[in-house]
Amino acid sequence: MSGVRLKGIEKAYGAVKVVHGIDLEVQEKEFVVLVGPSGCGKSTTLRMIAGLEEISGGDLTIDDRHVNRVAPKDRDVAMVFQNYALYPHLNVSENIAFGLRIRKESKENIAAAVEEVSGILGLTEYLERRPADLSGGQRQRVAMGRAIVRRPKVFLFDEPLSNLDAKLRTQMRAEIKRLHKRLGVTSIYVTHDQVEAMTLADRIVVMHDGRIEQIGTPMELFLNPINTFVAGFLGSPPMNMVKAKIAKGENGPVAEFEGQSIQLAAIPSLQNAVGRDVILGIRPEFVKVVAEDAPDCVKIELDLIETLGSEALIHATLSGQPFVIRTETVGQMHILNGFPGFTIEPNLIRVFDAKTGMTFPGQVIEQ
Amino acid sequence: MTQEKSDTAHKAQDASGSDKLQRVKDHLKREWQLYVMLLPTIIWLLVFLYKPMYGLQIAFKDFSVFRGVAGSPWVGLEHFQTLFGNDQFLRALKNTIILSFYGLIFGFPMPILLALMFNEVLHQTFKKTAQTIVYLPHFISSVIIAGIVITAFSPSAGIVNTVLGWFGYDAVYFLTKPEWFRPIFVGTGIWQEAGFQSIVYLAAIAGVSPTLYESAVVDGASRWQMVWKITVPSILPTIIIMLIIRIGNMLEVSFEMIILLYQPATYQTADVVNTFIYRQGIQGGQYDLAAAAGLFNAVVAFVLVMTANTISKRYSRTSLW
Amino acid sequence: MTNMNLYSRGDKLFVILNMVLIGIFTLSALYPFIYIASLSMSTGFEARAGNVLLTPVGFTLEAYKRVLSEPAFWNSYKNTFIYTIGGTLMSLAFIIPGAYALSRPQLYGRRFWNLMVAFTMWFHAGMIPFFLNMRDLGLLDSYFGIIIGFAVSGFNIILLRNFFEGIPQSFEEAARMDGANEFQVLWKVYMPLSKPAIATVTLFCIVSRWNGFFWAMVLLQDTGKIPLQVYLRQVIADLSDDEEFANSLLSAAYSFETVSAAIIVCSIIPILLIYPFLQKYFSKGILLGGVKE
Repeated sequence: MSGVRLKGIEKAYGAVKVVHGIDLEVQEKEFVVLVGPSGCGKSTTLRMIAGLEEISGGDLTIDDRHVNRVAPKDRDVAMVFQNYALYPHLNVSENIAFGLRIRKESKENIAAAVEEVSGILGLTEYLERRPADLSGGQRQRVAMGRAIVRRPKVFLFDEPLSNLDAKLRTQMRAEIKRLHKRLGVTSIYVTHDQVEAMTLADRIVVMHDGRIEQIGTPMELFLNPINTFVAGFLGSPPMNMVKAKIAKGENGPVAEFEGQSIQLAAIPSLQNAVGRDVILGIRPEFVKVVAEDAPDCVKIELDLIETLGSEALIHATLSGQPFVIRTETVGQMHILNGFPGFTIEPNLIRVFDAKTGMTFPGQVIEQ
Repeated sequence: MTQEKSDTAHKAQDASGSDKLQRVKDHLKREWQLYVMLLPTIIWLLVFLYKPMYGLQIAFKDFSVFRGVAGSPWVGLEHFQTLFGNDQFLRALKNTIILSFYGLIFGFPMPILLALMFNEVLHQTFKKTAQTIVYLPHFISSVIIAGIVITAFSPSAGIVNTVLGWFGYDAVYFLTKPEWFRPIFVGTGIWQEAGFQSIVYLAAIAGVSPTLYESAVVDGASRWQMVWKITVPSILPTIIIMLIIRIGNMLEVSFEMIILLYQPATYQTADVVNTFIYRQGIQGGQYDLAAAAGLFNAVVAFVLVMTANTISKRYSRTSLW
Repeated sequence: MTNMNLYSRGDKLFVILNMVLIGIFTLSALYPFIYIASLSMSTGFEARAGNVLLTPVGFTLEAYKRVLSEPAFWNSYKNTFIYTIGGTLMSLAFIIPGAYALSRPQLYGRRFWNLMVAFTMWFHAGMIPFFLNMRDLGLLDSYFGIIIGFAVSGFNIILLRNFFEGIPQSFEEAARMDGANEFQVLWKVYMPLSKPAIATVTLFCIVSRWNGFFWAMVLLQDTGKIPLQVYLRQVIADLSDDEEFANSLLSAAYSFETVSAAIIVCSIIPILLIYPFLQKYFSKGILLGGVKE
């Protein structure tokens, strides 16, 4: 297999383990994003792939070659750093050429490679400039240029967009995606920003406390998170979590809380769980606000409505906890002020065990 | 790290002893160049600074050049007893303390005062020029400074006696008068270093937020009030840290300057521990006794410096070195 | 804030008084140099009579002729250049790689090595053991002894190490991923990025070498190898013992005072030439060196 394979990869500093056995196969040409809160071990994992951190345990293969003990320069990988690490004393062209010069490539080859790369990235006009004279986006491009000029087997990105402002970040995100399509190089990308993960990834790896929580395509993870952590991490605004107890209803299982109840999907795992404490994961986008009180309406206390134009964020309280609803505004502004509650389709509610945080099996939302 | 954690750490290490060896090997394979870079410095330190520390044992031996450091017989604390019964050594110790003390009292406030004054100068060219000039003496060698002092205080041609002559005083050969040595030495030190030492305080003053002064202006404070109510309190931490350093270095009297300025006639007030060591050891060949005096000096200095460092750590939350 | 018109009368008085005081202090720092320069260009007779105050009296360059015609002066000048250039290069050759290695977090035993350097700043064996050690090493009366014996200073290493530590580690990592080894990382990335700090350390070395006196006096007996500072000291101290020279003073064109003033001027000039750089980097240096463990 061509690609990157991690088998039981561990990292320990003395007795403190920060990465506990990561198993991951990155296919050739795939764009995989490692995402998680800070301190979850994602950067450490990336740096072990790069060879910047020694691997404490497990096996790492790149392109079917065991590289645990191979020096970074011989792994045929390139990395884009969070702060770009552009050499301030070299101009753009020298920065891009640095790696080739170190590897003693011929002058003609270097010149040709720099020209090609700067063409791809739209840096041709800036070749003589020093990094200090470039904008944030241009620096970002130079950093990528320095990585792609060597035509490595694998690109590694360590939070490359976190130093940019929001607008530029969106723009550069698209550029990275375009570049990946064009070059088709296997890429591993680390970020703590779930939006970046959702938009860039072929597959997302959600990490937490040095372990992988779930691997899957962005939509798989968004719709079918395996536990409350993944559910809460992906999506903005985050999924609402409501504590409840499963009871037997007329049409299958229902969840009860504070004197209200919601119909749940009639699947065996939930039907067998009557009496269990659960957490209901309700995506802000999946609920429907209702104009009038109805039997299946879940009542909420309205706090505040943020109107964002075509949609609105409704901040409310449900069962003593904040509850957010995201809804369209067009045609329903008249009901948004002072509506009593919402309805939701039973199979759009994600039910998690309150003790373990894991989802009940059999709940699948089709994409 | 808590006790429990370090216990498990030990267990983990025991369990993976060969693993650890392998990791060290891997590490050296990756990073051997760093150790090549470090090696010359470490060897230098061992040969030129740590080996003499081994040689310090002659302070407890009847050292003879022919028998060498290791071969000379032990005499215990004999040299220290000799030293503390030696009037010259006790005098040198006393002079060291007195000279440092004067240096502290008169020398310490000067750079602070200078920095405060420089800060109040509005004319930038004047300020730059003045700073350029007052920093200069710091870079001049002690031989030259001593040469200037000797020339200036010379009884026949020196400017000092010339000026005194205008007022009807007889010429004084200052550098042979024990009572004049201390003022001349301390004054020379201030003249040479006060300007340069003000840099630290100027940097501290530069760190004071301008908005403090602006709001003081709005409140109607005078320049004088701003100096005492804003500038001085703001740089107080720096002042205290510098004071602690200074006290920690109490024994570091610039003996090079003393060697250049003193003469037998002024030993009474000018001879310090290091000049004593120089005369007894290097000039007189009494290596063991001089080494004992040096060891005493070094140990006291070490204790002072470490104490100062600990205090400043507590005070500033950053250590000095 | 800088507009004097906004000041009250009391403030104006304060500012002016302050300028006057600074002026006095500045002149007192400057005056000795003017005095020495004037003395060196006055006749020996006027100098002896104490008539030189501000400007040369009976202008003459005889003292300089006397100094510059002395082979020993030129020889010591040459020696000082050898010690300064050789010593500074030697220091940099030790300090730069050493400080770089000590700044790397991946270095095993980093705390120990750093402590080993820092300890030499707190505790030293002292004059006698150092001297005996130099003698045992056969480094008395040797150019090499002076150059190597004072090559490393804990302060300079820590200063430079702190600067290297301030450079984000991703520069090293990026360069290593680009295929550079540690020597190349240091040479092609960290050294160019550390020009101000290296300039500071270089200047520290140059000044301490140029001004170095005590150990040169102690370790060098051979007058052919002594540096300028030791020569100057000998001229000032031993002049009265030098019969030939004492006799030649009768010429009255120069005197003991004017000759030593002339040597002082000659030895200050190189320092004055690099003074603009000194001023620029030293203030940075002492702040950089305000050092952490």
